[in-house]
Amino acid sequence: MQKWKKTILIIGGIGLLAALAVVLYVFLKPHRDVSKEKGVQLTAQALFDAFKTNEAEANTRYLDKAIELNGEVADVNTNQDGHIVVNVKTNDPLFMINCTFKTNPGTLQPGQTITFKGICTGYIPDMNVVINEGVLVK
Amino acid sequence: MKFVFVFLIGILFLGTQAEAQKVYGTRNGKITFASPTDEDVKSTNNEVASRIADNGQITFSALIKGFKFKYAEMQEHFNDQYLESNKFPRADFKGTIVNLKEVNFGKDGSYKVSVKGDLTMHGVTRNITAAGTIEIKGGKPLANCKFVIRMKDFNVDASSVTETVNVDVSCQYQ
Repeated sequence: MQKWKKTILIIGGIGLLAALAVVLYVFLKPHRDVSKEKGVQLTAQALFDAFKTNEAEANTRYLDKAIELNGEVADVNTNQDGHIVVNVKTNDPLFMINCTFKTNPGTLQPGQTITFKGICTGYIPDMNVVINEGVLVK
Repeated sequence: MKFVFVFLIGILFLGTQAEAQKVYGTRNGKITFASPTDEDVKSTNNEVASRIADNGQITFSALIKGFKFKYAEMQEHFNDQYLESNKFPRADFKGTIVNLKEVNFGKDGSYKVSVKGDLTMHGVTRNITAAGTIEIKGGKPLANCKFVIRMKDFNVDASSVTETVNVDVSCQYQ
């Protein structure tokens, strides 16, 4: 085989591999696994207070962070796609910490105190602080 | 005496007013959006907070970081490059049902509605109108609505991915 043909084949090969690597990177990059992250520990009440007092500051502290919360279960529901959602109480009866679980937390009763970990996606005034990707710690 | 009478009538009136309005809410409504040109560009948010009142007022709030994609890399781009969710964490809609007279919240059935209001997203507020349905079942409303968002209307430059997205809202209220 002529030398130039070989060179073209090699360059072409490298190009293909690089393209494949980019595709794999985009499509196979794993989602965050919060169970392997160390969460910022605080109570459900403290998280609510932080957002109610100063939303912008609380966003810089907690948005997109893994957090480990402790609080009392208000109610347990399933969302419209069948995932378990636990609302955790604050001192405001209309305001909840709304946590959608990634793995089934098992049977939880209203009034029970739980510790769970998840990713904080933000604050909705007069409604809730939202946590998703939740896993039960204890 | 006359004063007391007027006062009592006033209280009665306020009382009936308060009772006349009924508000339904959910913390876990659902919004899905998809690109009409790229089937991989599809995302769902299951933590949509929404309230609907029988006086026609309707609100939706969705946290941008709550939108989940099949591919983690896309989710990252969506948050960091396009919607800038650290700067603008939430999208809010506040509006009213235009044809409220055609909806009977007290009677089971499916009602076609037109909703008009302001959508704020990525720091931009736009007036939008969308068609949908409200289904009353067992006294509880289920709202469904579809509309199209042009990315550049909200200062989002995603032209390399998609110019528009089809948005699908579905909220089961309590």
